[in-house]
Amino acid sequence: MSHSSPHRTAEDARPLAGFLVLERSRAPAAAYAGRLLATLGAEVILIEPRSGSVLRNAEPLIVGTNESALFAYLSAGKRSVALDLDDKQDRAQLRHWIERAQLVIDDTPLEERAPSPISEKAVAAVNPGAHFVSVLPFGAYGEQSSWRGEEINLIHASGEGYLLPNGYARALYPDRAPLRIYGPFAHYQAGCVAALSAMAALWSPCDEGQFVDVSVQDSALLCGAFALQRLGDGSLEHREGRSFRYGGVFETRTGFVQLLTLEDRQWHGLVTLLGNPGWSQDPALNDGITRSQRGDEINQQIRLWMSDQDADDIVARAQQLNVPLARYRTPFEVLSGEHEQSRGLFAPTQLQSGQMIPMLIAPYLFAETPLHTGCSVPALGSANVESTP
Amino acid sequence: MISNGPLAGLRVADFTIHAAGPFCTHVLSQLGAECIKIESRARPDAFRKPHAVYGRLTAATFDQVSANKRSIRLNLKKTEAVAIAKRIVALSDVAAESFRAGVMQRLGLDFEALSAVKPDLIMLSLSSCGQQGPDSHFAGYAPLFGAWGGLGYQSGYSDGPPIEMRHVMDHSTGYHAVVAIMAALLRRRATGSGQYIDLAAREVSSAMIGAALVQAAAGDTPQRPGNGSAQYAPHGVYRTQGDDQWLSLVIQNDAQWRELLDLLSLPADHRLREVEFSEVAGRLQQAAELDQALELLLQSRPADDWATRLQARGIPAYPSVNMQAIAENQHLQQRGSLTRVNELTGGERWAVGAPVRFSQTPAPGVYCTTPDLGEAEDYVYGELLGMSSETRQDLEAREVIY
Repeated sequence: MSHSSPHRTAEDARPLAGFLVLERSRAPAAAYAGRLLATLGAEVILIEPRSGSVLRNAEPLIVGTNESALFAYLSAGKRSVALDLDDKQDRAQLRHWIERAQLVIDDTPLEERAPSPISEKAVAAVNPGAHFVSVLPFGAYGEQSSWRGEEINLIHASGEGYLLPNGYARALYPDRAPLRIYGPFAHYQAGCVAALSAMAALWSPCDEGQFVDVSVQDSALLCGAFALQRLGDGSLEHREGRSFRYGGVFETRTGFVQLLTLEDRQWHGLVTLLGNPGWSQDPALNDGITRSQRGDEINQQIRLWMSDQDADDIVARAQQLNVPLARYRTPFEVLSGEHEQSRGLFAPTQLQSGQMIPMLIAPYLFAETPLHTGCSVPALGSANVESTP
Repeated sequence: MISNGPLAGLRVADFTIHAAGPFCTHVLSQLGAECIKIESRARPDAFRKPHAVYGRLTAATFDQVSANKRSIRLNLKKTEAVAIAKRIVALSDVAAESFRAGVMQRLGLDFEALSAVKPDLIMLSLSSCGQQGPDSHFAGYAPLFGAWGGLGYQSGYSDGPPIEMRHVMDHSTGYHAVVAIMAALLRRRATGSGQYIDLAAREVSSAMIGAALVQAAAGDTPQRPGNGSAQYAPHGVYRTQGDDQWLSLVIQNDAQWRELLDLLSLPADHRLREVEFSEVAGRLQQAAELDQALELLLQSRPADDWATRLQARGIPAYPSVNMQAIAENQHLQQRGSLTRVNELTGGERWAVGAPVRFSQTPAPGVYCTTPDLGEAEDYVYGELLGMSSETRQDLEAREVIY
């Protein structure tokens, strides 16, 4: 275990303190895996080319500084080592890092990875205990394993893209192309799978490092597995018919809200919220199946009522009545949300421009060992000097 | 019982319901953990009931997120049932729950109570808004998590309303929960200490717009890009030959653009061959015209055909596939990404297997169908807890096991 045991120090109680992870990434999946591990306390070293990772230029960019907001989010708290893998001295540096690492996460396309000094074979030769986590659009095996895939391809390759949008947006624009989810959503699911699989490999009773093959398509497909389940039910889902029978997205005077009542008691709460209008008093609507059959009629009434309401006001009243209703909040509203502030969702982080901003840490709180630490976005090669073996 | 995989030997006491929490424990089970699903006839999980609002008028005959799990009945409204639940937790590594904030405490099954019987317990509470904070009492489902956290607002057509997130929002929450649990387990191995994890689904939604939150914090106004891009053009989803057939396509550089023009065999005087489109800056400036022209050209062939031809030239392209196409996909079959499983009613269907391959401890994936309510009681109450038949009958008669 000499090569793969973490070096825990007393100062850092975070769950993964002491683990060393090397990350060579060009797409958000591998980078998000590294981010998850870094926020959990692992030391994550970005192995970048001397010209810098392509993610440093990935959209969206911050106006004025042209710094990539995506790279900032994915890389804060990591360290950067910039290497020319054709250079002998740089390869010695790389070897130094590989010798000490428990995990290597890599998303280099197969044909480029194989001859490089960060292939699974090359890593195993230097450090047989390190686990090698391969994160590729379509995985490392199978007839399409060499296919290229960007986010918009992968969300559609998983089946979820075909199903978006449903509900109100679909009703407004029935002839438009299907949509992706904002940002690198499919990649983020694969990032989770890569991180959890890396930790599963560390947990496994295995003396030698494992090769772990993560596919973005597979990861997003499991995330959207319910649609395959529906196929087994005899229903081929389409964005047109996927809408809730009633409920969905509604526009109020002050913004959009989302309503979904699955239980009878929630329906009765909704009727109270609406002020017990005459149409809602039809005894037939006490039956959930009838309500679903008359969903269009119900939604028409709700839409009319909503159009004259204040979003925050009705959300507060609805939640008191146990009616699931939420406001569609902008990033600004999330950032300044009282709830988020009280839970300590954000930590001060220094961008490469020097600006300090609050940045989301992680969507979970560890009661015994809080994750919070201030950190910064690594400048290219900022860990090079200290990394000299 | 298959007990291989990287998490072989790990046991989960699973109190989760609906989709997000069960997805988390389902993923753990796909990697080899044993998962005991604690439910009751009094409050059956969603898949055991009709869900008319989704268009399902009967109970499900298969539920992906319940597959692999061992089901027992336990009526947690009874004091004795709570004591039995604690005995199961004492034999488990992880306890997971997804009730509304405060429910486990009311039941006497909060972290304090459970860690008293299992000092190094890893416990996950997964809820819509977390266990603390002014909105922690809020009720919600996946589309509401998406709305609160910002992912719904950022998604959608640029000129349209926000869009509602569906099960992927639940399941993304579940993935993040597994990440947190695995980290807590590794810490337990190193220090012997337990951990309580408070996961808020709406914060997963926020994590999915992390870059937009960085923009907002830096003083920018994040845009809703729809299918578009500020970096690449063309970048989008284009109509192809056939009814409702679409191709996702990205041109990442000028060399790929030239390959695309070559593949399209456009005449020398075609508008897209003009110099203003030859570099990305020009293509971005004329993105709307470009998309329109490209969509006309792409309608000459099926999406599958385009994807194969474009990929052969190193261009990222993929059809917008439905689930029938997924079920028939050769690549996914070669990878073993899909598994045939039995239904409760005896039929067979596809389920999604483990999204990862381990070279030395292969994940078992989906090896068991949706459990019948209480199917594992001989194992859990008999083998694990050592209860006699008489004791179990008595508990059933008094609706503790119910």
